[in-house]
Amino acid sequence: MKLGAWSKGLAVAAASTLALAACSAQSAIVENTAVTVAWNQPLYSLNSSTSSGNATANAVILYMTQQSFNYYNADQELIDNTDFGTMELVSEEPMTVSYDLADGVTWSDGVAVDNADLLLNWAALSGYFNEGEPEYDEETGVIVPNDAQVWFDSVVYGTAISNTELPEITEDGTFELTYTEPSIDWKLNMTGVGVPAHVVAQRALGIEDADEAKQAVIDAIMNSDTETLVKLANVWNLDFDIVEMPAEEDLNLLVGNGPYEITDFVQDEYITLSAREGFTAGPAPSVETITVRYVTDPLASIQAIQNGEISITQPQATSDILEAAQALGDSVVVDTEPEAVYEHIDLNFANGGPFDPATYGGDAETAKLVRQAFITAIDVNEVLDKLIVPLQEDAKWNQSQVFLPGAPGYEDSIANNGSEVYGQGDAEAALALLEQAGVETPVDVNMLYASNNTRRVNEFTLYQAQLAEAGFNLIDGGNESWGSLLGTPDYDAWFFGWQSTSTSPLGAESIFRSDGGSNFTGYANDAVDAAYTELSTTFDEDRQIELLQQIDAELWNDAYGITVFQFPGVTVYDADMTGVSTSPLSPTIFWNYWEWGVPAAE
Amino acid sequence: MTRFIFKRLGIALGVLAAATYLFFLLAANAGDPLDDLRASQQKNRDELIAARTAELNLDVAVPVRYFYWASDAIRGDLGTDYRTGQEVTDMIATASGQTLKLIGFSSVAAIVLGVMIGVISALRQYTGFDYGVTVVNFLLYSLPSFWVAVLLKQWGAIGFNDFLADPVIPPLALLIIGAGLAVVVGAAVGGKWKTRLLAGGASGVFAMIVLGVMSATGWFTDPSLGPIVILALGAGFAVAVTFLSAGLGNRRALYTTLVMALVGGVAWFPMQTAFGYTDGLVAFLQLLAFIAAGYVVGLLFRGPDKKVSARAGAITGALVYGLLWLDYLMSWWLPYNETAAINGRPIATVGSSTPQLSGNTNYWVGTLDTYTHMILPIMAIILISLAGYTRYMRGSMLEVMNLDYIRTARAKGLPERTVVMRHGFRNALIPLATIIPVDLASLIGGAVITETVFGWNGMGKLFVNALHEANTNVLMGYFLVTGVLLVIGNMIADILYAVLDPRIRVDA
Repeated sequence: MKLGAWSKGLAVAAASTLALAACSAQSAIVENTAVTVAWNQPLYSLNSSTSSGNATANAVILYMTQQSFNYYNADQELIDNTDFGTMELVSEEPMTVSYDLADGVTWSDGVAVDNADLLLNWAALSGYFNEGEPEYDEETGVIVPNDAQVWFDSVVYGTAISNTELPEITEDGTFELTYTEPSIDWKLNMTGVGVPAHVVAQRALGIEDADEAKQAVIDAIMNSDTETLVKLANVWNLDFDIVEMPAEEDLNLLVGNGPYEITDFVQDEYITLSAREGFTAGPAPSVETITVRYVTDPLASIQAIQNGEISITQPQATSDILEAAQALGDSVVVDTEPEAVYEHIDLNFANGGPFDPATYGGDAETAKLVRQAFITAIDVNEVLDKLIVPLQEDAKWNQSQVFLPGAPGYEDSIANNGSEVYGQGDAEAALALLEQAGVETPVDVNMLYASNNTRRVNEFTLYQAQLAEAGFNLIDGGNESWGSLLGTPDYDAWFFGWQSTSTSPLGAESIFRSDGGSNFTGYANDAVDAAYTELSTTFDEDRQIELLQQIDAELWNDAYGITVFQFPGVTVYDADMTGVSTSPLSPTIFWNYWEWGVPAAE
Repeated sequence: MTRFIFKRLGIALGVLAAATYLFFLLAANAGDPLDDLRASQQKNRDELIAARTAELNLDVAVPVRYFYWASDAIRGDLGTDYRTGQEVTDMIATASGQTLKLIGFSSVAAIVLGVMIGVISALRQYTGFDYGVTVVNFLLYSLPSFWVAVLLKQWGAIGFNDFLADPVIPPLALLIIGAGLAVVVGAAVGGKWKTRLLAGGASGVFAMIVLGVMSATGWFTDPSLGPIVILALGAGFAVAVTFLSAGLGNRRALYTTLVMALVGGVAWFPMQTAFGYTDGLVAFLQLLAFIAAGYVVGLLFRGPDKKVSARAGAITGALVYGLLWLDYLMSWWLPYNETAAINGRPIATVGSSTPQLSGNTNYWVGTLDTYTHMILPIMAIILISLAGYTRYMRGSMLEVMNLDYIRTARAKGLPERTVVMRHGFRNALIPLATIIPVDLASLIGGAVITETVFGWNGMGKLFVNALHEANTNVLMGYFLVTGVLLVIGNMIADILYAVLDPRIRVDA
């Protein structure tokens, strides 16, 4: 008996040593390590490519459960993830991009990640097979599953990825995508494989075997089998919308190819991700479990950090919150970094107001002088000092209309774009410009902004005082539904924040192009249009930056308006944590989760 | 009565229809559902805006759009959240579950405490206790709830958790607690100065000794009661219950309750095994068994008023079971507290459960976890709503106690206990019974601030989120549910009034 117990013990010890050895050889996961992140909105869809699932709340979780060909680092540089696969521009004319998945990349259920997944993701994103118009439920707005027409409810339908032909799979198994129109954003158009094709097919077609399911997807897409595609599309559109841990038979929805898998999900409370063994498709994390807790109240998240309930939070920045966080002393680290939202003042070129040449009988020079006077009189430093520096000590004026500060090309651009003469609150120079223009002062300017936003109300007050000295009478046009009023003729100027979601060179095209969808100002400059036209087919990165710098200089030369500041962001995290850093672009704090380290619990 | 109910229902439907229409006008104009898309730099922004406009019928005039909503709502379809595609009915079901949990506990506690304090302060009208209660009441009533919540977190959670790391109460704190308790008890007891000094001093000293022993023996790290303490506390409950419900002169009732206390002490041993197999349902059945046992014991003592003994026995049975349950729950405290997910900081400031605990949870750990999360929000709600009930009860009690029939009752020589409990207290409860249904109905609407600050996702939070997103469907769903509840609550209050007070007729 005694011997039996001993030998059992020995066997267990030996087995666990072996298991431990195996672990340490494969992964860097440290046992009993856990990080809890506060976030403001719960995940609601595991497919962030649908038009309803496209939200940061989903993207941040999927960033850890799905891998992609590239990701943004803290300096807004796109880093290739060759452990997952490589994307290459094979030819520019016709534009062909090849996708080569790395060997041994698997889904969390052990099935290989392969071309079937790429194919389905392409078919879904591009909407290549979409027919007719989708039908939305009349009142509720959810897409209605239909039996006759294929409709992948893709959020990027109609953009560059839709200008592609049916992909080819070459003999050596490389996936090749040919564009009918060149797209310089080829690295961003399709960055991963999306949801697992075999799961979609298993659910849509009732196939058990994963390989068979994959083959069914390939066949349906290659042969344009509408009947099957309709079923696949319905699953792709709707099945992945979950708000809590799915039932036993739906657990395959959680299959991912990232280093973490979802192991617990309580509605509106939290979602827990656990590191999985055998992950090779990217940087390997060391934290065993990451829990994202849904906390909306900023002060609540600070107190929760103090009480040890969460480890990282990015509360909405106000001076009260910053003070509360700093009062916690050495137990936490408080970082202030700018976000990817930038505040800017736009002037209306097309409403018959003071900035419209038509007001002066088509005299473009006079209108430009008035615009120059306006942005000369603005004092960005006062706005920064009073509203932003208290939240972020090193806040600086964002001096470019097209580059975010810190992005490649920003420094060179602001040195040459002629912005330095503006925004210094030089009332005398502004008055001189108005005199030169020969307009009567004071010039009435009706200004639109979000009146339900305290910071914007404060901003308006500052602008009003600054401009009053320079011969402008700023009329308070603040409105809560400012969004729908942009570009309406009642307003001569407005200010709000643009949010950057990527570093695509064409990101601001729709704002500044004369026929752009977000061009509210009626701005039209042939040189800018021409530069964008050239840019849209320019693959050389240096040339891209050059063209953007030209556009930036044109915009300042035309006195288009003035950029002011980037929104300040605050990150507070437990001082025990290492490797925390934040990126201005989504997924912000999560961008380098694999570098997070935390001491193991006893 | 039937006619009255139908008439009221008819009026209620009309009111609801008109109110939803008005509210829809407000909700649809509350914000711009396209806000997020307008400031987006997404390349297909225009398509997305067009799609959402079509989805939400934003191109239909608001007064007409209501009828789209109403025609679906009549068929039971409240629509979906345009951002997440979730069914509004599901969202409300989840949110109201959370709110009910929170409001249920805190309302019961606030009502019980409020009634108790109100009655005592009415009986001790114009004494130091009465004035003290009034001052504290108005102080609490006027506190902003977000501030109370933040303070509670700072002291009740962060401070208490820090204390638990090394749970020793310093002598000075012991003295202060003892003295404070002595003053409160002395003031509440009333009567001669000597009695008050004695009662106050005794309870103060007793509290100091108990806390001192608890602190010295590390009770806060690994709390428990044990059979002896349960027996002693049970006996105390027995005397108190008998005093209030039957009077100590009723020997049969006193023996009944004392037997139940003894049952509790003895039952501790078998219950240690039984509790191991207990879940929520079993615990409820066990409670019923103890109540039944108390009732039977009361009947067995026989006598002319055996029902009175039975009632006292049943109440004591429930209380004794509570002690046993609490004792067993305490035995899980140490393991719970030492879990990695808790890490020695049990009292939580956000959410309603601890993530990563689910792997090793049973009924007892789950219950502990729920309470450590609920205790602060419940305290916040109690502190603020207590004042209303206390003042209401005090006023009502004073009014009743000054009525002629109370004087008659005293004149015919009834003991003061009977006069207060049977003739005064019961009648003073009538007005309270009529405000509670309405109060509860409006509370289902959620405690917006408390929920937000404590990270509970109840109805209040649902409403605020929907308002921020200009989510008309969710707003309307919320309004419909709370509106219906409020109308029903009002009706119940009216009916209750008629049932409780025969002077009121509702047949008109």
